[in-house]
Amino acid sequence: MINFGLNKLSKQQARTGLIFMMPWFIGFLIFGLYPMVMSVYYSLCRYDVLRIPQFIGFGNYEKLILEDPYFWTSISNTLVYTALRVPLCIIGSLLLAVLVNNAVRGVKFFRTVFFIPSIVTGVVLSVVWLWMFNPQFGLLNSFLAYMGISGPLWLLDPNWSKPSMVLMSVWSIGGGRMLVFLAALQGIPKHLYEAVDIDGGGWWAKFRNVTVPMISPVLFLWSVLEIIFSLQVFVEAYVMTQGGPLNSTMFYNLYLYNKAFNDFEMGYASALAWILMIISLIITIIQFRLSKNWVHYDGGAK
Amino acid sequence: MILAMGIFLFMPSDKAPDDGKIRLKYWMVSAMLEAPFHITEFNKTHKNIFIERTPLPWNEHEKKILTSILSDNPPDLIFLVTPVAKWATRLALTPLDEYIKRDNFDSTIFFPALWEEMKFKNNIYALPLYSNSYAFFYNKRLFREAGLDPEKPPRTWDELLEYSAKLTKRDAKGNYTQMGFIPTYGNVHTSVIMAWERGAQMLINDGTKVSLANQPTIDAFKWMADYYEQYNVKDVSSFQAGFGFAEQQGFVAEKLAMMVLDNSFPDQINHYNKNLEFGVAEIPTFEGFEPVSFSGSWWFAIPRGAKNKEAAWELMKFAVQKNIQLTEAEKQRELLFPSNSSAANDPAFLALNPSNKIFTNLIGHSKTPTIVPLAHDVFWREYIGAQERVIHKLQSPAEALKQAEKIIQMHLDETIEYDNYVRSKVLVN
Repeated sequence: MINFGLNKLSKQQARTGLIFMMPWFIGFLIFGLYPMVMSVYYSLCRYDVLRIPQFIGFGNYEKLILEDPYFWTSISNTLVYTALRVPLCIIGSLLLAVLVNNAVRGVKFFRTVFFIPSIVTGVVLSVVWLWMFNPQFGLLNSFLAYMGISGPLWLLDPNWSKPSMVLMSVWSIGGGRMLVFLAALQGIPKHLYEAVDIDGGGWWAKFRNVTVPMISPVLFLWSVLEIIFSLQVFVEAYVMTQGGPLNSTMFYNLYLYNKAFNDFEMGYASALAWILMIISLIITIIQFRLSKNWVHYDGGAK
Repeated sequence: MILAMGIFLFMPSDKAPDDGKIRLKYWMVSAMLEAPFHITEFNKTHKNIFIERTPLPWNEHEKKILTSILSDNPPDLIFLVTPVAKWATRLALTPLDEYIKRDNFDSTIFFPALWEEMKFKNNIYALPLYSNSYAFFYNKRLFREAGLDPEKPPRTWDELLEYSAKLTKRDAKGNYTQMGFIPTYGNVHTSVIMAWERGAQMLINDGTKVSLANQPTIDAFKWMADYYEQYNVKDVSSFQAGFGFAEQQGFVAEKLAMMVLDNSFPDQINHYNKNLEFGVAEIPTFEGFEPVSFSGSWWFAIPRGAKNKEAAWELMKFAVQKNIQLTEAEKQRELLFPSNSSAANDPAFLALNPSNKIFTNLIGHSKTPTIVPLAHDVFWREYIGAQERVIHKLQSPAEALKQAEKIIQMHLDETIEYDNYVRSKVLVN
């Protein structure tokens, strides 16, 4: 027996601890680690679940990068969507949080009202927006027509389909993200703002030199998370457009889903999943590197 | 996703008490709420077998069936509409050749196009149960309003273009309020029918080579390009966005004067818009060519590893008989077209509906939408993609079709390679 330098009591405690950990650990092994390891293997195979896998080395990756036009379409669609959506979400939620941070009458009511839309789940939201975007009967085009503007075809026009889906995410700017920003704003010590007042600075100086640096860890966290969420965009396209028109909303995860569950090319889909993992990882590493320049943690260290 | 699972949990299933009968598990991809006639009649006449019917939601059916086979607990019989070859190549089905030979089962009772679909690599894997047959529908009232003879539907695609121009109306702002024909609206791909009429062969060399950039298909795509040149894609999409299902369907709502529709529509129209005065005719063709129609089969088959194969085969033989199919057509005519050709040609069936004669006639020279069985989904995705690119003027017909052909071929090659590999490793059947 190896003694890890533990006495009898702590050994017993360690054993009890391990036993309590087991349900999670076994669950993780079976439902977490095992599928991940298998998906690495399957990504090197042709495999359709029903039949035995055929090992083909890096064939799937080669085909993806060199021969599959939809791979690149889906990557560029997803990146464009991410680039449009993330700033809108972060800035939108931040501005809304600043608004509802004011001690005006009925602010609790406004906080609730802004939060309500985010309770709606993705599928329902997509179905509702499908009707809002309808060029003939939709709310948006009826409103535009009232203003004398002839509205676009929204989801039916390849140039408008991605911006339309970005527009949809405005719906959720009052959700959890706003609440976290609000909590961060309320944690900013008042004396910092008083210091700006004494120096004669206005609201912009307060926002720029106190608010943003003080909540920068939260902003950073959410920009990392939102980029990861946006790269995984799926429900909107699956419900509303199925990737059309002209593949303009063929996002990465939708393509992956089609490959896995329409074509049952599990090997190919596994390869796609690992590439998305690598892309997310690279973007996150870059963000962590850049964060050193603008994120301030408590204690003043950058 | 959760929604779909929820629906599945509450799916009705015809359960019976434990009485020593063979429980035949029958999974059907269909929206039918009540058990079809062949099931109720079979349960009545067969004392030792009881059929447990489970409807499968369309979105989930493939996953459900594949995982059930994989976990060695498959149903005894499945009812599906996707290509038989696609399931057969995955070794998901039991070949029926032995049973057919043993019982001297007569396969000539089926329409030939439907029977062809049941084969894969010299074996028979399924029997066709129903089909749908398509024909050309037109709105007689709108014809009269436009000054056209309501008894003279267009015979050629060029004539259809002339009619269409007369049947199209715009409002003051230039938006369409009524159109004659929209070639991309509905289940039928008009351009495929056109290509077939001109003699297109889309799969050659014994099923190993895809030929999409052939002259007939290019010509069909040119017709589509010309149509959208005249009517403008954006205006048509905007008009079409106002269509929906049931009473909102374009033809039923009398916003569209002509359309290729299936045999369920006479009843649907009767149900949703009684006052619609419509005519049914043969699908148009090109000057000097024969008309061609479009029909796929709804088929049933025994999954690999099924426990009650004999009982399942018993039901299959039972359900495709002429008298069973006839009674079923009478009871549920909005859904089904018999696969048994003597049932479809029977005076009783023809009398059910004045347009049945045309449907029965057209299904005789129809082709299957399963054009490349081993790359079915990819084929249609690419075909529709190519058509979209042509309509939006991003590519010429030949360019678009060549691109699609290349991708389908790539996929087909891989599927064949994988199939050969599996067959070399596993003892098949």
